[in-house]
Amino acid sequence: MSEATGAAAEVIIRTRKLTKEFARDSFRVVALKDVDLDVKRGEFIALMGPSGSGKSTLLHLAAAMDRPTGGTIEVLGQDIGAMGESAVARWRNRHIGFVFQSFNLIPVLTAFENVELPLKLTHLKKGERDQHARTALRLVGLDDRMHHYPKQLSGGQEQRVAIARAIVTDPDILLCDEPTGNLDAKSAQEVLTLLKRLNEEYGKTVLMVTHDPHAAHFARTIRYLDKGELLPEGQAPEDWRTPEPHA
Amino acid sequence: MKIPLSYNLRNLAVRRTTTIMTAFGIGLTVAVLAASMSLTAGLREAFRASGHPLQLILMREGSGAELSSQVSRESFNEVIRYRPGIAKLKSGEPAASLELVNTINLPSKESPDGMNLTNRGILPEGVAMREDFTMVRGRWFEFGKREVVVGSDVASRYPDAGLGRTIRFGRGEWLVVGVFDTPFPARKSEVIGDANQMLQDFQRGSLFSSVLVRAEDEVAMQALTNSLSAEQRLQLDVLTEREYYERQSSSGNLIQYVGTFVAIIMAVGSMFAAMNTMYAAVARRSKEIGTLRVLGFSRRSILTSFFIESMILAVLGGVAGLLLVLPLNGLTTGIGADATFAEIAFQLRVTPEVALTSMIFALIVGAAGGLLPAFGAARKQILTALRDM
Amino acid sequence: MRFLPLIFKNALRNRRRSFLTISSLALSICLLGVLTALYAALFHSSPPPGQELRLVTRHKVSITNVMPTWYKERIRAVPGVKEVIIWQWFGGWYKTEERDRQYFFPRMAAEADRLFAVYPEWEIPEDQKRAFQADQTGCIVGADLAKAQGFKIGDRINIRGSFFPVNLELTVRGIYHSPHESDSLWFQFKYLEQGFESLGWPNFAGTFTMLAESPEAIPGIIRAVDAMFANAEAPTKTETEYAFGLSFLAFLGNVKMILLSICGAVTFTILLVAANTMAMSVRERVREVGVLKTLGFTQEKILGILLGESMAISLIGAGIGLVMAQGLCVMLRQAPPIVQQTKTLTIEPAVLAILIGVSLLLGVASCIVPAWSAARTSILDALRFTD
Ligand SMILES: Nc1ncnc2c1ncn2[C@@H]1O[C@H](COP(=O)(O)OP(=O)(O)O)[C@@H](O)[C@H]1O
Ligand SMILES: [Mg+2]
Repeated sequence: MSEATGAAAEVIIRTRKLTKEFARDSFRVVALKDVDLDVKRGEFIALMGPSGSGKSTLLHLAAAMDRPTGGTIEVLGQDIGAMGESAVARWRNRHIGFVFQSFNLIPVLTAFENVELPLKLTHLKKGERDQHARTALRLVGLDDRMHHYPKQLSGGQEQRVAIARAIVTDPDILLCDEPTGNLDAKSAQEVLTLLKRLNEEYGKTVLMVTHDPHAAHFARTIRYLDKGELLPEGQAPEDWRTPEPHA
Repeated sequence: MKIPLSYNLRNLAVRRTTTIMTAFGIGLTVAVLAASMSLTAGLREAFRASGHPLQLILMREGSGAELSSQVSRESFNEVIRYRPGIAKLKSGEPAASLELVNTINLPSKESPDGMNLTNRGILPEGVAMREDFTMVRGRWFEFGKREVVVGSDVASRYPDAGLGRTIRFGRGEWLVVGVFDTPFPARKSEVIGDANQMLQDFQRGSLFSSVLVRAEDEVAMQALTNSLSAEQRLQLDVLTEREYYERQSSSGNLIQYVGTFVAIIMAVGSMFAAMNTMYAAVARRSKEIGTLRVLGFSRRSILTSFFIESMILAVLGGVAGLLLVLPLNGLTTGIGADATFAEIAFQLRVTPEVALTSMIFALIVGAAGGLLPAFGAARKQILTALRDM
Repeated sequence: MRFLPLIFKNALRNRRRSFLTISSLALSICLLGVLTALYAALFHSSPPPGQELRLVTRHKVSITNVMPTWYKERIRAVPGVKEVIIWQWFGGWYKTEERDRQYFFPRMAAEADRLFAVYPEWEIPEDQKRAFQADQTGCIVGADLAKAQGFKIGDRINIRGSFFPVNLELTVRGIYHSPHESDSLWFQFKYLEQGFESLGWPNFAGTFTMLAESPEAIPGIIRAVDAMFANAEAPTKTETEYAFGLSFLAFLGNVKMILLSICGAVTFTILLVAANTMAMSVRERVREVGVLKTLGFTQEKILGILLGESMAISLIGAGIGLVMAQGLCVMLRQAPPIVQQTKTLTIEPAVLAILIGVSLLLGVASCIVPAWSAARTSILDALRFTD
């Protein structure tokens, strides 16, 4: 699983003419239009673009949290549009880790319990679950905060717990929707370093939506969405201020 | 500065489901109380209304009820009948009626196994003194025959006691020849026939049960009461007809106690539920509270506003509860009269008094449930309120 | 179940709300428990040992109507009847003529020579038994009554007649213990008969109490006795002593219906309270439902977790409520009994099972609508949800 990125790495997200329209009353919003995207195993892609350009929508489709209105999306060789509701849930549990801007930890559970939660859907025994959860928390550097409740953690720590929760089932793909959007600079740095490490050392494929050019430079590739369309690699929207790489 | 009522109303409307559920919870509590109260109210009314203001019931001392009393024909004729102060009937005879009371058992609609009914034997004076009776069907019984007339409640509630049917009690069968109605509810539950016929059937010799006497006026009534109570040859209890019937209604008390007890426990439960709802309302509107405070509303007006909101809930609940019991108003049911074991039919009454008490009860529940959350709302610091949620 | 900790933590998420809800449920279930126990005691209980063999024959109309005394010998001849005595309710007034509970206790006349044969479970010293039987104006009192009124052997007790205009002057000759009823006074029927004679009344009996040879004989006895007198001057009704006690309830009106309607109202109130809480609590959590789904939870699992939470709350409330109900039952046993059945009032295992079942059902019913709709909300709608 944690193979290094090879030249001939498989494509694990493949979209063709992926389109998503939202119809509300007489309004129709085209959130994504004919998006062709290939994400190879082991890539770290930052998705950028103005607000409303369809970034989140793309992540949601990739996580099968929503269904496309046109085109196809294949993840890990599966046509996820064709899966049933509970099959999708199981698939998501096994293959996808999702990180939200607003952390979304369960407030009544401790850091440890939050991380353990997705494992309860697997066949692992209590002892194995404990061990996995501990490992994940150690990886994000919070093994000393295991029994704290989300309220007792800082924003950066909360997000790291959320990342631990996302990776605890050892998924292939990590989808992050503005993971640093609610964090101060220092916490953001920690989280981004962590994601980078996950990508480089553990071979996780990361697709990260961000507004922050600094954050985007942690990724190996930056792709832009504009009004629902995916711009070709290396191209940014016209009025886009190309982010300066930080020192 | 007062926060307008429409603010509360709109909030209640927005949280429709919660509002309805909470109000209905209070409503059910109120309904239990109101139902038990309307039962006793109806019972009391039935008995209270049953007494002629100038009539006295004479029974053997200590017997408590007509059923357990004995008065012999001889003592009636010698000691009671010709007392001064007793009103005269049209016939010129004194308005004093010697009566025989028994219970008989007939299957009723509600209890097919049989319910007890009061069976009364009277003499011609007794018929004459019942001017309030109107024969809605059939006719009065004839003396010397095994015939009875039944009250309208009996006719309607006991399928076997309809006009033209024969009922069995005593030593044989009796023909129902008439159905009477009377404004005195307790009397509607009686089966009445010739006392002399019944004496034989019940092997009573010449022992009747009680005497009904009508005084000429209030003064005469008082004098009669005094002289009859003091009578040495006969030890008598002298009660006005009203007193007598009022005493009989005490079997309703137990029902009222139980009803009140249940309602109070339920009320505490509903109060907790109302509290829950109001706390949720306060929590949900935390930001609004902050905003209102910034706009210059005082803590007191916040307190009042939330308190009023819970009172509105209570009023809704009270109204719902009363609407629930209203169909019971006028419903006829039977209850055993104290000490006679005979059934008396009466109608449940949702009186204004019942309604008022229930409403007050609902308001108390609302007030108790709303006070703490309202204080909680008023105590919020402006900034925490704005930050919350 | 792996999700139990999550369910419990969720159930207690909002401490104040959970406390209020659980208290409210506990009170209602306590009430429901007592009412159900009462209902079960009145309408579904079986007589205690010692009593199951006893039958009572009364006039078909009511106990205030009387039967001729010669019925006794006819009843004795019925197969399966071991012993029979005349048993007459006396009533009357002790010390006061007010309806004063303090001085109220049952007073009965019975045939002293056979009394103890019909009540074999009574414990009374042999010499007291004989002293009572030998004294026409003697009486025996139950141990509880003796304690309550301070009666001692040799005490004089005067009872003024009410229903029967006979005044009794009794002497306490014995104190008996009975496993189910020790608060009555019994005196000799002969003494009462004398009173009737002096009044010029014919002899009559209010009820006959009999002892059956075996439980199997009971239905036959009931049929035989009632058939024997069906067309006599005084038709009879024979029933077990236990059922006979219940017939006094009839004068309270339709007790069955009253109990059932109150139970209905209480149950419905519980449902409302629980539903209200669960609706609030689920609403607050729709976002979390979205998160759970993102982690791979299926609709069914989420529904299960929400239902589990609601059932947990109901169960906790039911547990507390049933303990309180048992306490209340014990208290009610001390209250002046209308019928004997309430003296051993308790939450029977069957009632317990029913009530726990009912509360679980209420837990599901109160939550199913909001839980179902939350579980079905699409991930994105759930994540976007704001209350
Ligand atoms: N559920 C929805 N209903 C209607 N329109 C939606 C919905 N979700 C997203 N949109 C619209 O789709 C477009 C893309 O949204 P999104 O993917 O969230 O943009 P962003 O790039 O800011 O993440 C926006 O115009 C948004 O208004
Ligand atoms: Mg977005």
